[in-house]
Amino acid sequence: MVKETYLHDKHVALGAKMVDFAGWHMPVQYTSIIEEHKTVRNAVGLFDVSHMGEVFVSGNDATLFLNKVVPQSIDKLPYEKAVYCQLTNKNGGLIDDLIIYKIGIENYLVICNASRIDEDLNWLVRNKRGLDVKIDNQSHNYSLLAVQGPKAIDLMRKLGYSIENQKSFTIKHDKIEGIKLLVSRTGYTGEDGFELMVENEYSEFLWDKILEHGMEFGIKPIGLGARDTLRLEAALHLYGNDLDETTTPIEAGLSWSIPKDKTFDYNGKSVIVNQILNGVEKKIIGLEMLDKNIARHGYDIYYKDQKVGNITSGCVSPSTGKNIALGYVKNLPEIGTNSIIQVMIREKLHDAKVVKRPFIQKRNRV
Amino acid sequence: MSFKENMLCSKSHEYIAEKNIVGLTDYAVEQLGDIVFLELPSVGDVFAKGDVFGNIESVKAASEIYMPVSGKIIEVNDAVVEEPEKLNEDCYENGWLVKIEPDNYDSDITDLLTYVEYKAEVE
Repeated sequence: MVKETYLHDKHVALGAKMVDFAGWHMPVQYTSIIEEHKTVRNAVGLFDVSHMGEVFVSGNDATLFLNKVVPQSIDKLPYEKAVYCQLTNKNGGLIDDLIIYKIGIENYLVICNASRIDEDLNWLVRNKRGLDVKIDNQSHNYSLLAVQGPKAIDLMRKLGYSIENQKSFTIKHDKIEGIKLLVSRTGYTGEDGFELMVENEYSEFLWDKILEHGMEFGIKPIGLGARDTLRLEAALHLYGNDLDETTTPIEAGLSWSIPKDKTFDYNGKSVIVNQILNGVEKKIIGLEMLDKNIARHGYDIYYKDQKVGNITSGCVSPSTGKNIALGYVKNLPEIGTNSIIQVMIREKLHDAKVVKRPFIQKRNRV
Repeated sequence: MSFKENMLCSKSHEYIAEKNIVGLTDYAVEQLGDIVFLELPSVGDVFAKGDVFGNIESVKAASEIYMPVSGKIIEVNDAVVEEPEKLNEDCYENGWLVKIEPDNYDSDITDLLTYVEYKAEVE
């Protein structure tokens, strides 16, 4: 059965076009993807991302346990800080990508992709053998609202939230309009913004309050369509498109997120360390089409008449008007920034240029 | 709107008006969302009923456009190819796609629907 978030009826009442996404009936757009996209880049947007998974990990061995399932150093994560992580299998392949928040002593919040929650839970449980760890999936009890854009900070202040001392990638327990929630300064758009985790029964009230107070800042509700174009401009990966179980974080261009000095063993460590030292067979690239054609997920990439890889995500960038894409290619030294490659679109090869990622200037680090 | 009254629609969302103007219905355009790419054939190209004669892409997805009747392309609306986003405003008077010289108009239209029938079908 297709699931509905607690805010489902709000979306329908706002006239959203609804689609099935990862088993959820979600708004893909309210008015126009391009218009919603620009609202987030220029003002502020509100997203319902309650389909995402919220899992609490606690117990005496919680830190030890998380350190074993991700390449990141969870033992070094300070209280109220967040870290972008990958849940790796024995071969270093990605089961999911996650944000882990430290919300107490031996107490963590793990946010995972809606499409991967079952696989994640299964893998976490399989790895807890012999450890004092409680894995508590609370996805069905919480709603997650994202407020994103350059005006997000003004809106949060207007809602009475004190953002002082809350830098990006941090989380705090707090109250807005008397409602208890967890507020993190994170997002999936490349803009500054906040994610608000709240018990389901208060989510509709909070949704309405945010839209009401956001009016003066030009707020709009934003669907999954613009969420996808926003994250792609920021070159943030989408699990299932750009990441899967056969791709390692190193191949996915996520080396920056992996500490090179982690002594602790974790799933897939030997493969990942070997790739850091000796290189990878395939690598992710960003590309820009040189004609009007749009590269889409699954299209083949060619270099000097040889098939060398495929596109994993592509769209017209609403911010720049350029046709951008992410893809994987054989790790040939001659394919680098400014190289000309080709994408097979409707049985014809179209030129594209390899460009640096992200495709826009990110503004989320404050 | 006279355009809508005098046209016939296919279940794959193309219309033919005045026996030779082919385009996409407003319902199709609305479903596609923001249109960002359009590819149409050249004058002189010949297609059978049901053939793919063009490609259209919105921000989200790529779709094919099918011939509602057989015929030869006699004119292409270059203005919409240049600015496909204009289709979101008007897919009829200024937003038609191609004009054709039909081969067997009368026998090809037997399975096409009037606009009223079509709207009832899709909504």
